[in-house]
Amino acid sequence: MTTAPKMRDLAHQLLVYEAGAGKASEPLESPTLRVYEKLRQSLSIFAGVAAFESLAFRALMQAKSEAPDLWPVQVAAGGSLQGLGEFEPQIDMDKYLAGAFPVDDGGIVLIARLLGLLLIFLGEALTLSLLRNAWPGEAFDDRNSMHGRNA
Amino acid sequence: MSTQDKVTINKLPTGVPGLDEIVGGGLPEFSFNIIAGAPGSGKTTLAHQFVFANATPERPALYFTVLGESAIKMLRYQQQYTFFNPAMLPGSIRFINLSQVVLEKDLGAVLEQITKEVEKANPAVVVVDSFRTMVRKPESDMDLQSFIQRLALFLASWQATTFLIGEYAEDELRDNPIFTVADGLLWLRQTAERNSIVRKLQVIKLRGQDSVPGLHTFRITDAGVQAFSRTFGLTARKRNPPSDRRLSFGIAELDKMLGGGVREGDSVLIAGPSGTGKSVLATQFIAEGIRQGEPGIVAVFEERPQAYAERAAGLGLDLETPQKDGKLTILYLRPLDLSVDETMHSILDAVQKIGAKRLVIDSLAGFEMALSPGFRADFRESLYRMIFALTGIGVTILSTVEVDESFTEFPFSTYSISFLTDDIIRLRYVSIDGQLRKIMVVIKMRGGNHAKDIREYEITDKGVVILGKRLANYQGLISGIPVHSDRPDQTEEPSLDTGIEPTT
Repeated sequence: MTTAPKMRDLAHQLLVYEAGAGKASEPLESPTLRVYEKLRQSLSIFAGVAAFESLAFRALMQAKSEAPDLWPVQVAAGGSLQGLGEFEPQIDMDKYLAGAFPVDDGGIVLIARLLGLLLIFLGEALTLSLLRNAWPGEAFDDRNSMHGRNA
Repeated sequence: MSTQDKVTINKLPTGVPGLDEIVGGGLPEFSFNIIAGAPGSGKTTLAHQFVFANATPERPALYFTVLGESAIKMLRYQQQYTFFNPAMLPGSIRFINLSQVVLEKDLGAVLEQITKEVEKANPAVVVVDSFRTMVRKPESDMDLQSFIQRLALFLASWQATTFLIGEYAEDELRDNPIFTVADGLLWLRQTAERNSIVRKLQVIKLRGQDSVPGLHTFRITDAGVQAFSRTFGLTARKRNPPSDRRLSFGIAELDKMLGGGVREGDSVLIAGPSGTGKSVLATQFIAEGIRQGEPGIVAVFEERPQAYAERAAGLGLDLETPQKDGKLTILYLRPLDLSVDETMHSILDAVQKIGAKRLVIDSLAGFEMALSPGFRADFRESLYRMIFALTGIGVTILSTVEVDESFTEFPFSTYSISFLTDDIIRLRYVSIDGQLRKIMVVIKMRGGNHAKDIREYEITDKGVVILGKRLANYQGLISGIPVHSDRPDQTEEPSLDTGIEPTT
């Protein structure tokens, strides 16, 4: 089972957004970590730390089967991510911004899996509401279903 | 102090159909309320309906979840309800989970966290679901009562209408100091009665409001909680003065027997055994009303509307056209799982929708059977309330009831519901000259004179047709086995009763 294309697109969109934002302010922090942290903060307030931890753990387990680079990564107490830095800094930020992601890119897969779980549990409308709240400056196109790639 | 000096308490819509009427027009703004009940009784759904009905981006709702159901799972299920508008999250409705604070700290810290979030958001509505799970540590510096008191004071000063949701059993209601703090206390309960679940809510306390007392049934559907007031929302309506107008059955001889027809606003009971034409008479009554421009409702329980209309067509009565024209509604109330108040509300809604002047309930036995078993005990009381409410606004009600025929007795009804009715028409079989014929007699008319005559009738392709004159040359007709007498047939007009009512 691989991540749904639309989830990858959405994860890509968030990573590109954070890569751009990070380049200006905190160039050394990985986009994946920035996206993950924003989701963690938003979801922990909304659903509680324990609920986020459970979701993150499940998403990471799913992602590891698809992206072996993620094997050193762990979800720590409180839901924070540990071990991501071991491979993430090697990613070329210019490629990120250009959208040239490798198919098995762990960051995309992990975020896509997390978004996929939100979609399963909360549905498209609420998931997009949460994303809009976490990324108020970003436009999320909900005219097309998150369940499939745009035609 | 004059009225204009008094503070005006705004009433907020509950978002729950039927509940506004029960709580006296809406919940008081800035009130501090507790919604209590057993798990699964609909507390969270009710709170969500209030939140979705009142939250705005300027004055949002803060929904604090504590331990128990996670917000993700809660919203997964709650979004299935039609009132749930995902676009309101998180701008107008914000979910905040407090479980970490509850688990790691004490009630003081929980209060501090709530205070911080309220100061940040300036909410119009605050919900804590469930506040009871916050009591985790017996050594907590602040007990629950003190916590609730301080929370109530704080939220009132922030002009927030607040709901605390708690799981409580019935016997915990008494002497619980927590409930004294609340301005409003709504109690939801569900009980299993035979094979049915009966849900009821009670406004145990509501400061400053004239709420409707008693237990009100409610249902949870895909639209959320829907409440059915015991008074059907008609208590506030002024009763019409008694009318002298007479309504025709469209059967001239029967109208004569009734002293000119049924008095408008009366409750009429047609009682008789199976096959005596109770439904035929009811159909003629409703059809005649439509012919005279009086919209009507027929509530049927034993056959579907199409079959009812087809049977009427067999009598030359067109019920299809008035249905299309909005002058007639045939309600088929699906049997076996209805609460009595819910059924009454369906009828009332239909009456109010088309401005019905005549209502037929065909039959009371079918009505009772359509109710879930737990509600049958309330049947007569609820029927009384509905009849009182509807006749009070000028609707004339005709009910049919089947009675077990015996050849030794002449019961008016097996329901002991004669007290509910102003007028009773009794139909029965009699054995005459080797034939099983039909007779009718007007037993009672509360509003005036009626014929004392016992008349023979037939059911033809034109409906009920009353034959000849009164059956004067038989004695013991009401026994069903009359004896022929030598008296000649009477030829005079039907004799009218003096208005003295028989004992029913």
